[in-house]
Amino acid sequence: MSNVAKRQTSGLDKVLRVALYVCLLAMAAVYLAPFIVMLLTSLKDVEEIRSGTLLSLPGSIDFSAWSKAWSGACTGSQCEGMAPYFMNSFKIVIPAVAISTLLGAINGYVISHWKFRGSDFFFAALLVGCFIPFQVILLPMARTLGWLGIANTTTGLVLVHVVYGVAFTTLFFRNFYQSIPGELIKAARLDGAGFFTIFYRIILPVSTPIIVVTVIWQFTQIWNDFLFGVAFSGFDTQPVTVALNNLVNTSFGGKEYNVDMAAAIIAALPTLLVYVLAGKYFVRGLTAGAVKG
Amino acid sequence: MANLVIENVKKRYGQTEILKGINISIEAGEFLILVGPSGCGKSTLMNSIAGLEDVSEGRILIDNNDVTYSSPKDRDIAMVFQSYALYPNMTVAQNISFGLEMRKVPKDEREAEVQRVADMLQIGHLLKRKPAQLSGGQRQRVAMGRALARRPKMYLFDEPLSNLDAKLRVEMRTEIKKLHQKLGTTIVYVTHDQIEAMTLADRIAVMKDGEVQQLGTPQEIYDNPTNLFVAGFMGSPAMNFVPAKVVEQNGAFALELQASKPTVVPFPDQESLKPYLGKEILLGLRPEMITEPQPHKEGAEFVVTADIDVEVTEPMGADTMVLTRISEAEVNCRCNPVYPTKAGETIAMMLDTSKAVAFDKDTGERIDR
Amino acid sequence: MNKNAANAGSGATQAGRPARLSLADWMPKIVMAPTVVAAVVCIYGYMIWTAVLSFTNSRMLPSYKFVGLEQYERLFMNDRWIVALTNLGVFGGLFILICLFLGVMLAIFLDQKIRAEGAIRTIYLYPMAISFIVTGTAWKWLLNPTNGIEKMMIELGFEDFRFNWLSDPDMVVYCLVIAAVWQASGFVMALFLAGLRGVDGEMIKAAQLDGAGIITTYRRIILPSLKPVFFSALVILSHIAIKSFDLVAALTNGGPGYSSDLPANFMYAHAFTRSQIGLGAASAMVMLGCVLAILIPYLYSELRGERHE
Ligand SMILES: Nc1ncnc2c1ncn2[C@@H]1O[C@H](COP(=O)(O)OP(=O)(O)OP(=O)(O)O)[C@@H](O)[C@H]1O
Ligand SMILES: [Mg+2]
Repeated sequence: MSNVAKRQTSGLDKVLRVALYVCLLAMAAVYLAPFIVMLLTSLKDVEEIRSGTLLSLPGSIDFSAWSKAWSGACTGSQCEGMAPYFMNSFKIVIPAVAISTLLGAINGYVISHWKFRGSDFFFAALLVGCFIPFQVILLPMARTLGWLGIANTTTGLVLVHVVYGVAFTTLFFRNFYQSIPGELIKAARLDGAGFFTIFYRIILPVSTPIIVVTVIWQFTQIWNDFLFGVAFSGFDTQPVTVALNNLVNTSFGGKEYNVDMAAAIIAALPTLLVYVLAGKYFVRGLTAGAVKG
Repeated sequence: MANLVIENVKKRYGQTEILKGINISIEAGEFLILVGPSGCGKSTLMNSIAGLEDVSEGRILIDNNDVTYSSPKDRDIAMVFQSYALYPNMTVAQNISFGLEMRKVPKDEREAEVQRVADMLQIGHLLKRKPAQLSGGQRQRVAMGRALARRPKMYLFDEPLSNLDAKLRVEMRTEIKKLHQKLGTTIVYVTHDQIEAMTLADRIAVMKDGEVQQLGTPQEIYDNPTNLFVAGFMGSPAMNFVPAKVVEQNGAFALELQASKPTVVPFPDQESLKPYLGKEILLGLRPEMITEPQPHKEGAEFVVTADIDVEVTEPMGADTMVLTRISEAEVNCRCNPVYPTKAGETIAMMLDTSKAVAFDKDTGERIDR
Repeated sequence: MNKNAANAGSGATQAGRPARLSLADWMPKIVMAPTVVAAVVCIYGYMIWTAVLSFTNSRMLPSYKFVGLEQYERLFMNDRWIVALTNLGVFGGLFILICLFLGVMLAIFLDQKIRAEGAIRTIYLYPMAISFIVTGTAWKWLLNPTNGIEKMMIELGFEDFRFNWLSDPDMVVYCLVIAAVWQASGFVMALFLAGLRGVDGEMIKAAQLDGAGIITTYRRIILPSLKPVFFSALVILSHIAIKSFDLVAALTNGGPGYSSDLPANFMYAHAFTRSQIGLGAASAMVMLGCVLAILIPYLYSELRGERHE
């Protein structure tokens, strides 16, 4: 009797598990579909796009849309493709990530191991910086950049990204350094090491995981930024997201969806690559940023 | 080697006073042990001595120099922490030589020093490993090595052995004692272990709530505690506190207890009992002062034999602890295991009050001297 | 400081406090200073500045002629703003609900010792790595009223299939929901999966020994213990919703007309392209108010929780 019951439930179990897999795979297909459509579309020519459907395969693999997106498509009045803006993004992202990560590391080190009166309060105040809608600071920041003479420059964008990225990087490093025992710092101080020596010789060498998480997080955030890019960049200093948006919304003659899609993939490629290569750290950053931010 | 003077040191965190005026003075080469319940401020005091935390008031002198406001690295102190605090990214050799490197000692001298320390602590074969690849005992040795390498004026040990298992702890205890005898450097050492405190210390400071209750040699602390707290804190099992009524008997003051039957015991310091005639005090008796009847002590001056009711017996190997009740208080007696005792029986016990102490019931202060 | 003076006077040998006021002691404060200044000026200073602007009649350039609450009155009389707020309500509500539902469901499904879990998880989460601009561009093509999904369904034989939400002012906001859910639901899944992995295994065993089935175990034991994760996810999703700007810019550019505007787009348009700085500032302040209304209770409970740890 009990045996039968067992066999029945295990049969039911099997059905349920199959359903589970079907469900999960169907969802995976849904998540993948837009990317596949983008890829397929980017490889078709305009005629194929007009006659075929989203998922119809291209007759022949044709990279002309890609080369046009990279170096010939018009973004607004210029027709140099995405290439210059892709470079702009790197010009913004690399210094901004480096500076904000370094500042975050030092801030986190101070806040967790060199507390002074008000440092905890300041940390709480800084946390708010992770949350504010940036619309609140757009206007004053635009004025400030103008005064500093770096409006519409990549330098200006680097500054903006550093200022509003430091809250997150500080949070990441602080949470990580909190788990380093204070006795380690005390021992080093007694050994005669000072503030920077301890940081450089003892703290930094054990910080690799959090540096990776932070760099990936900042890289993704800044690369994908659109708001600051559109508000504070000039014609030739636009980051890739702004250029992509312009490209898509520029209509000279017919709409070339294949070029749009190729450009979109180009704009997404660096962060996708990071995600594929270091997904573990990416997720860790997301959840760390989420749980306390 | 250096002496250490702590003068009226106070430490406040905001409103709360953690150290409430500490006064301790020890000679060069002395081994001072700090004991006290958790949270009483031992680590805070150690950090203040090391300069890792600023004191709010008072002075600290090392080697007759006021170091109250000098930075940790200028005090020439080494500290061994409970967690060992080894630098995780450095090898054992680098850990040991880091302090020397910071003091700009030339490389060959550093290497020689590492070798010397490694030989002394027998960790030569570990020098190339990282801390994560060491066992608890090995880490402990490396932490000691790091402290030894600099040949500082003074060592601070904050519960250095409490993360080791019992056997290793005993071994390391002996080694620390040997090291101290060999180096003769001043040591301040925090522990929760009674035996460590008794065996290692030249002097013990018993702390409670940010105050030093008593500072004295281990024997003084054990035999002559200044108050109930010290008496109860040191010794394991703890001293028994028996409520006793001061009575006059044959022209002398004596103490009346309620064992199996009412019993009167004599007390050495007669003068001190005078003000308490007819009142209750607390009589402090170490467990070894209540034993099975021992023929050679029969008839000695402060020895009385009385019947007690055995509640529980706990054989410990060398002794058997007998738990009973005297004047309503739980009392531990230390008996020879061959003395036949069983729970529920009433047996004869010998009370030796020659080294007993008396406390005021209300203030907890010591009455006799 | 007076305490030190008293100390210095008490002993002739006193070294005195100044000996410790070395550069080294100031180092932590010195290295924090840039961040402190930046935060005070660029977060709090600018917030106040924007607040001030919102009380002025600034148009093309900031002016400091105060007009009281006039900009706020204008704002709430402005039909476009009302549409933007309504859209935020619809978009935010649906986006959060669907993301939570999908996220929890997928997390639970994935938690059943699935083969190739890593690969599936990677697929669910990858949209989170790309920009909303890319997402918008992609979905703009997918949802294209003539060439997109509609055409594909017709070719598949569903002759009457119509799907033109992108050009329908009443439906366009749901396009935003679809694209945003596609991007963010994997993230919610990751949050919950991490939460599920953190649930005490012995608690689940105890529940099963008590005779609870798998559904009951999830419903009564596991999910309630993930309350903090719900809370974080809720806060983050509402935060994403309120800040949403790029998705609209790329997917609909606010259109048709201004039917798919969100407050962030309203603010940007008025402050930067329509020379209505005062009005833009007022709308930014309202957005800040919305965020704070969500944030303050959250931070409060977080900080209280931390103290309990
Ligand atoms: N930074 C601080 N701020 C506020 N209070 C503190 C701080 N550091 C320590 N305390 C408090 O000071 C008291 C003494 O702490 P301390 O670490 O000196 O105790 P301890 O005697 O070493 O205890 P244990 O035996 O557990 O190590 C404790 O009540 C602790 O809560
Ligand atoms: Mg301690």
